[in-house]
Amino acid sequence: MKKFQQLAIPYIVWACIMLLLPMLLIAFYSVIQQGNSIVHFKLTLDNYVRFFTDKDFLLILWRSLWIAIKTTIICLLIGYPIAYFISKNSPKIQQILVLAITLPTWINMLVRTYAWIGILSSDGIISSFLGLFGIHTELLYTEAAVLIGMVYNFLPFMILQINTALTKMDRSLLDAAQDLGANKFQTFWKVIFPLSLPGVVSGITLVFLPAVSSFFIPKLLGGGQFFLIGNVIENQFITVGEWNFGSAISMIMAMIMMLLMMLVRKLEERNKEEK
Amino acid sequence: MEQEKNKLIQFRHIVKEFDGQVVLKGIDLDIYENEFVTLLGPSGCGKTTLLRILGGFLEPSEGQVILNGEDICEVPAYKRELNTVFQKYALFPHMNVYDNIAFGLKIKKMSKDVIDQKVMKMLKLIGLEGFENKDVTLLSGGQQQRVAIARALVNEPSVLLLDEPLSALDLKLRKEMQYELKKIQQEVGITFIFVTHDQEEALTMSDKIVIMKDGEIQQVGSPEDIYNEPVNQYVAKFIGESNIIPARMICDKKVRFDDITFDCVDVGYKENEPVDVVIRPEDIDIVDVKDGKMTGEVESVLFKGVHYEIMVETVPGTHVTVNMHVNKNYAITSEDGKEKISANDFYLDLEDMKDIDDKEIIARADAQAWNPETDEFISIHDIDTDLKQEVGEYTVTFSTNNKTSITRKIWVVDQRVVENKKANEAVSAFNFFKTVDEIKESMAIDTDLKTWANAQGWKLDDENETVDLDVDYDFDPETITEGVYKVTFWTTGREFKIHTTDYVEEGKEVGLTFFAEDIHVMEKMGF
Repeated sequence: MKKFQQLAIPYIVWACIMLLLPMLLIAFYSVIQQGNSIVHFKLTLDNYVRFFTDKDFLLILWRSLWIAIKTTIICLLIGYPIAYFISKNSPKIQQILVLAITLPTWINMLVRTYAWIGILSSDGIISSFLGLFGIHTELLYTEAAVLIGMVYNFLPFMILQINTALTKMDRSLLDAAQDLGANKFQTFWKVIFPLSLPGVVSGITLVFLPAVSSFFIPKLLGGGQFFLIGNVIENQFITVGEWNFGSAISMIMAMIMMLLMMLVRKLEERNKEEK
Repeated sequence: MEQEKNKLIQFRHIVKEFDGQVVLKGIDLDIYENEFVTLLGPSGCGKTTLLRILGGFLEPSEGQVILNGEDICEVPAYKRELNTVFQKYALFPHMNVYDNIAFGLKIKKMSKDVIDQKVMKMLKLIGLEGFENKDVTLLSGGQQQRVAIARALVNEPSVLLLDEPLSALDLKLRKEMQYELKKIQQEVGITFIFVTHDQEEALTMSDKIVIMKDGEIQQVGSPEDIYNEPVNQYVAKFIGESNIIPARMICDKKVRFDDITFDCVDVGYKENEPVDVVIRPEDIDIVDVKDGKMTGEVESVLFKGVHYEIMVETVPGTHVTVNMHVNKNYAITSEDGKEKISANDFYLDLEDMKDIDDKEIIARADAQAWNPETDEFISIHDIDTDLKQEVGEYTVTFSTNNKTSITRKIWVVDQRVVENKKANEAVSAFNFFKTVDEIKESMAIDTDLKTWANAQGWKLDDENETVDLDVDYDFDPETITEGVYKVTFWTTGREFKIHTTDYVEEGKEVGLTFFAEDIHVMEKMGF
């Protein structure tokens, strides 16, 4: 065991350098004034004050959270039935279906999002099809386009989490429910759904977190018309060059997410205690 | 119609196939009200399948299931008025004890206070008062078991199905639950259908036992009927311990086995019909030699707590011991190194001498020649031997075209036959030679030893009837080295197992006696 632990040391060092150090640097940058020097610096909370006093930034933050919530809800509504349908099949077919769900994620997310530009553009499949019925809409560079892009990218995480929870479920519980007089509908709502909740919660986490901080989907499909918090951070670092302010926004986002996760965990725990 | 009045469940020719495999081969069975019925059989006999068909979780391929006079094959599980206790309880892990038990009642939309009342009554019945808010996943196996029973019983089903509900409990708890279940069944007064592979469980609890094997019912009866009057060898072996002896029915009330004719109480068999006889170990008494219906020698005495288990050999077995000579792997290499040749010494029966030829000698000696570089076989061209039609020691030389040769010995012997007149059988075997590698490479050493020693057993009065042989040896085939080893081939003879409270010394000659009604004659089973 001891030897095994020693084997982990290089990885721990690696993780510290690659994960912990950058995080600490971000935290550090967010509380100093102008510049990246770690030798000469002046501590300040100005960066945070600036964010919370600017209406535009708060609006963008709210918009980011709101679109992430919408993405999560849509992913849940589409993902649950799909996961349920997959779990109803024989193990062999389940394997194939799960593979079909994961297959697109083998291709780079960026490339797949670019493909959506083609699909959503004014001469793309969707607009052309709607045009046949006399409906003329511009989809690309709208909130709807960003939402579609996010749901498309994050749906597999939701499906896989729920599917795992459903397939792990003891089949005899379903027999038992039927035996006690529950029809298919009652069996689902009283047994299957409550028992799949852990999968739903981890699915929500896996969709919400990347959705709220995603920046290239709104960039590509929102086309600068639809700015989210991720884009603001990117801008601060790359275009404006204000690392300190960008770091502060990153820290704010990290804290919001941490709070949300704690809330979810609290809810779960209370759920457990209740029974 | 009047007769069928209290038939609660009727299985009518139930056939069930899974992917072309027939699991149930036409089950006909009636179950009455207030019965504790046990479906008993080894795993794979179809007992659980039958229960699942009744529960509505499986559809029969053929046949009818009739509950209260109605065919329920088309009725879905959730509409059937019967409840199941599942093998691993299948309690809902996201609910507490109360909600688990109340599940069925809530589905039926009963009012809160009725549910309350019923659940509390159930908790009292199973002795878990005060546990209603406990998390079911934190209960012990026995407590979970009780909750599962309560959850089913609270719905007041006319039949409770129990699918090996005690198999996950430890022995002590299992015994407790056996009595508990029987008590609960008598208290609520409904039919219990209980599936198990444990014969003791079945005997303890049941009013009626249904013994199943390979998708067919072997016997249906009360525990006493099944124990005392098993219909065949299978049932006799499955329920309790027994001595089962092949026998012949001489005429009504006379049966003959081991060359003795006994009085019995069974009638209705054909004259000279081959049958099986079962005598329970507790029905045999050990007496003085002169008072015994049979005599024998005490082979072993085991103390079993309440009684001794004594084995008495009434017909001795037959033994023959031969020498196995184990040589190291031995091959001769030609001068140019291009050929190798090997062979074993061997024993030959005088009688077999008449039709022995070169081919047979090569086979018996396992003579081989090969090219060590390519591993190709080279034919043995020449066999030179001074073999004669007489008992004695001879030599044989095998050689190839290139004059690479090896010389081996042949012993011609008179066949050794051990005759056992009392058991009406004879056994013979030969000494033999083998190399270390041949023994190590053997995949089935018992069978190979019989082949190598040419061991055979047969009936004295009918040479064509073979007798099965067992083999004993005291070497480990994995680690054997050169040397001479004893190999014994033997038959079991006839042993009786006797349960008695009186101690008898090992090795003593005793008489065995039993009453005519203790001999149960059964039809021979067709396998």
